[in-house]
Amino acid sequence: MGKFGVIMLALLLSACAKREEPLHQQQLLTFGTLVEISIWGADKSLAQQASSQVGEDLQQMHNDWHAWHDSPLVRMNQALSAGAPVTVPASILPLVQKSITLSRASEGMFNPAVGRLIKLWGFEQDDLPSGPPPDPAAIAALTKQHPGMDDLILDGSQLRSTNPAVQLDFGAIAKGYGVDLAIARLRELGIQNAIINAGGNLRAIGKHGERPWRIGIRNPRGEGVLASIETRGDESILTSGDYERFFEYQGKRYHHIIDPRSGYPATGVISVTVIADDAATADAASTALFVAGPQRWHEIAKKLGITQVMLIDDKGRMVVTPAMAKRIRFEADPPPKVTVAPL
Amino acid sequence: MMTRADCVVVALALALLPYLYFTYWGSSTQGEEVRIMVGGKEQMAISLRQDRRLTIAGALGVNIIDIHDGKARFTTSPCRGKQCIYTGWLGRGGESAACLPNRVSMVVVGREQRFDSVVF
Repeated sequence: MGKFGVIMLALLLSACAKREEPLHQQQLLTFGTLVEISIWGADKSLAQQASSQVGEDLQQMHNDWHAWHDSPLVRMNQALSAGAPVTVPASILPLVQKSITLSRASEGMFNPAVGRLIKLWGFEQDDLPSGPPPDPAAIAALTKQHPGMDDLILDGSQLRSTNPAVQLDFGAIAKGYGVDLAIARLRELGIQNAIINAGGNLRAIGKHGERPWRIGIRNPRGEGVLASIETRGDESILTSGDYERFFEYQGKRYHHIIDPRSGYPATGVISVTVIADDAATADAASTALFVAGPQRWHEIAKKLGITQVMLIDDKGRMVVTPAMAKRIRFEADPPPKVTVAPL
Repeated sequence: MMTRADCVVVALALALLPYLYFTYWGSSTQGEEVRIMVGGKEQMAISLRQDRRLTIAGALGVNIIDIHDGKARFTTSPCRGKQCIYTGWLGRGGESAACLPNRVSMVVVGREQRFDSVVF
């Protein structure tokens, strides 16, 4: 073996030593949630500066888009219920425009006009309600007024409502849209490889060095990770589930995804995961497909232009679209039984 | 021809192999430590290798975090929703949980993250 062999061995062993990765990861409590920022390959001080800038941006959005504290949105809602025209603040206008488009495309399954209903259930706050569920008569009184985004007339930045029951709550799109703006901010600052995950609303750009970013999807029943997806360039991966925000009252679970038609938590589905180009669309679409339920989600996905979907129904059955089947890798061993359903 | 010194080096290298396997490869995606944050500021980083119970004071009161068998979880919480407790055990690098009302969060860190981020 001689000296050469010893040197080779030493080299082999030293290759096992840990190398520092150019990865900056930070967690922030902002935007009413836990925000995780991962940045690969940027100078440390730039990554730190970019993370804190994103944190500040998200906090500002949270303040602007809050549906209950004194905020520009609350003042706008007061004008809408009075039937008065209101100038939509610049920070809210893109949310209103995007919400109108997505609500229409989803046939109202995504409906941010039901703010009163969300408030009646108590899901508009950071901390969760503890029950009991609202009085059925109060729910019926709100749903029979059918508040919807079609009741809004938007002319430039002038908005008014033809239905006094309309109260905007962007809970099902704001976090996604905020993540989109945060990614835009990172790019502006020269960052090419990053993930922003705001309470499960995720968008990734670029890669983790030589490999793609690996995103886990939490198991909706039980612990740990059900499946994973490797990202391709710039895309959003997002799940809406009945386990994210809920309360239990007298043994029954009441979750936060309210079906605007019935006024009650949507039934038939426990989680929907979608991959889309941007997080605002993914956020609204995952909610819309959840509300649409096992019977109609295909149809609504097509209307929204979403091709990559995984849905788990309330019997635990998993359905994926062919485009999602190509992307998803199940982490459980043995892998669960999954049906591939063409759109 | 191998000298005695060569033999010693080879024997040492072979003896090191199991250690290197488990340390750098075998369990590379399992969490190594849990980082606990209060108000978004890192409070502590604790190894997952030793079972223990931690008491963390947050904005509302006290969270109890248990570490057991290489995993960590929120066990008690002063919040109403108890979402942090429902999240359950976290063991693989990249998994995280938070008690938002109490402003306490934690993330599991492994040598090699199995997941760069987890959606829920």
